[in-house]
Amino acid sequence: MGIIIENVTKTIQGVNILNNVNLVVNEGDFSVLLAPTGSGKTTLLRIIAGIEKPTSGKIYFDGVDVTNLSVQNHNIAMVHQQFVNYPSYTVYENIASPLRVSKKKYSKKEIDDKVRANAKLLGISGILDALPEQISGGQQQRTAIARALIKGTKYVFLDEPLANLDYKLREELRGELKLIFRKKGGAMIYATPEPIDAMGMASHVGFIYKGEIIQYGPVKEVYKNPKFLEVGEYFSNPTMNILEGKKIEENNRQFIKVTNQFKIDVSSVNEKLVKDSYFIGVRAHDISMKNKKDCFVEIDGIVELTEAVGSDTEIHIEHFGKEIIALVDTFVSYEIGETVKLYINPNRFYIFDKETHKLCAKTGKEN
Amino acid sequence: MAIIELRNICHAYNGIQKNEKDTIYAVKDINQIYPDGSAVALLGPSGCGKTTLLEIISGLLVPTKGQIFFDGKDVTSLNAKQRHIAQVFQFPVVYDSMNVYGNLAFPLRNDGVDSDKIRERVYEVAKYLEITDLLKYSVTKLTAADKQKVSLGRGIVRPDTAAVLLDEPLTVIDPKAQWGLRRKLKQVQKELNITMIYVTHDQHEALTFAEHVTVMDVGKIEQTGSPKELHENPESTFVGYFIGSPGMNFIDVKVNPGGKLDFSGTSILIAGKIADKLLETGKYFTLGIRPEYIILYKTETESCISGKVKIVEDNGTYQIITTQIGALDIKSRAPESMEITYGDIVWLHLNQDKIKFFKEGKKFPLQPINQKSSNMEEY
Repeated sequence: MGIIIENVTKTIQGVNILNNVNLVVNEGDFSVLLAPTGSGKTTLLRIIAGIEKPTSGKIYFDGVDVTNLSVQNHNIAMVHQQFVNYPSYTVYENIASPLRVSKKKYSKKEIDDKVRANAKLLGISGILDALPEQISGGQQQRTAIARALIKGTKYVFLDEPLANLDYKLREELRGELKLIFRKKGGAMIYATPEPIDAMGMASHVGFIYKGEIIQYGPVKEVYKNPKFLEVGEYFSNPTMNILEGKKIEENNRQFIKVTNQFKIDVSSVNEKLVKDSYFIGVRAHDISMKNKKDCFVEIDGIVELTEAVGSDTEIHIEHFGKEIIALVDTFVSYEIGETVKLYINPNRFYIFDKETHKLCAKTGKEN
Repeated sequence: MAIIELRNICHAYNGIQKNEKDTIYAVKDINQIYPDGSAVALLGPSGCGKTTLLEIISGLLVPTKGQIFFDGKDVTSLNAKQRHIAQVFQFPVVYDSMNVYGNLAFPLRNDGVDSDKIRERVYEVAKYLEITDLLKYSVTKLTAADKQKVSLGRGIVRPDTAAVLLDEPLTVIDPKAQWGLRRKLKQVQKELNITMIYVTHDQHEALTFAEHVTVMDVGKIEQTGSPKELHENPESTFVGYFIGSPGMNFIDVKVNPGGKLDFSGTSILIAGKIADKLLETGKYFTLGIRPEYIILYKTETESCISGKVKIVEDNGTYQIITTQIGALDIKSRAPESMEITYGDIVWLHLNQDKIKFFKEGKKFPLQPINQKSSNMEEY
């Protein structure tokens, strides 16, 4: 049981927004559609939810073709980026509203029980009598989510539901959504441009690039094995460092050389590397400011900026004209222009083809 | 450039009411001194009063009470121009009819500066901002980030600018271009040694830009400090929660003689000396500890509290684990490599040196503690 998206294409004014998308979301999956703004993820979500029709292709819910079902007959719930609550209704009435207009009739007690249970789940039991204008943005979005969940539909779709909230609320709701999904069951599909949403909450992630899902799978699997440079670069927090390097041989060992200092031993995967040059990728948290092991690659750099990100620090560094970002999981500060040494874990490199951007090899055994 | 001092600033948009308790203050009892040439951020959630305070500093708003001094001179009744304040807003303000050079030269031309001097200064400012190549361009052709640089450039082109005030200047900038502009702002601030006051609700921007971060909530200053001070030594539970991601954990505890702290059906032991100090004031406190100072174990470990894992969130670098202990949720970090799932029983060790105590939301001052006290068995 679950959702099947089969050969879905969407063309608007001659432009392909979605191009032959295929996807299977099983019951029990919390799937994130990840992509930068303007990649077609909202369109795909709206097509799955029945709000828009595909130009071609089919959508199946539990084996039933629902492609041409009207939104009203679609038994789904959707949460939008811009939370919509009825301004003249209390929080209670907002949450209750889907039950009141539903074809199925609910008794007063049933409605009351459901409203209170969902309000409790979202942590808004204390504000049921308030009007939307009296509560914060976070509480408004919680109200909108409670309303979406109240009918207990098996499938819930969320389109960037945290985008308009400040980071503290995002941080809290991210954890809570994961918990809510576990209690609720069914399947959720969540569209977002934020890689951290996928890492933090989802069981599965699909990366959309130019209207196609170029990789879909369990979150950890996609994180550890990005099939393309675009997936690796984007599905990282911060962005994966991507550098160009030439293949060289020294003392019977093969390296990819980025600069005279920055050389990665690729002897162990040499048979997969037949070209002269490659793009190599390394995540910021695999670059440290302290030497952890002797095998780490040591390079020089000049600090361009230190950025405080939550309780971590991103350090932007210039290394012979190349920009590199390191992530340190504490709170540190370096002066702009300060000379530093960076230590890079040699077992954490991704090697991508320069033309096709496909992953060719990874260094290290369990990367 | 100036030392900026705020003395007993209060502002009520509807004025002071007859009955003091009917007065609604947007900001209240603000006292603050920012050194000359400092990078300042006013940080807080929406509605905290930070924009009101910025407008008071810039001269757009005359406070209901209190005074503002620039270099010791009372400027409370002066307008922005008289105070030599330059401003950068959310949306870049540029003159579309002029090229970049014209935009930068405009304030100096208005002041009647002669053209050779203008040229020299415009080139100097353009060099700082790395927009020399763009001087001949029409501003309409620029990206939002470059337009914002032009806005900033026009602000700093007058050599007697006392301070530059920036109100969420990165809002309309493409996320990819943001870090470059953040870097530029910081660099210009340092190199020109000019006082800059930056208003934002985003801790990331505030902590990246400023040396002095003023955290505000509901019209009051919660704390002013360096990013590290705010992180290591929050003066209030609000600062502990607001700074850092996730924020500090707070636990209401009952202190017992000898150092036992009871909470949520369990207890931990702290140094007896600290407990004695706390007990001088009362039995009930709020303990604060950041997630990064809690070690999580998967097997029973001494001096730990145990609970059940409620949420596991991964951020790619480490996992954030929410553990339920009675009615309490405690967040901690765990390495990426640790296999941990919902429902697991875990043991948490709170780093004694990193525990803070709060009373009624404010930090409870403890004398410097013996830093070797991490092993509680000593007591």
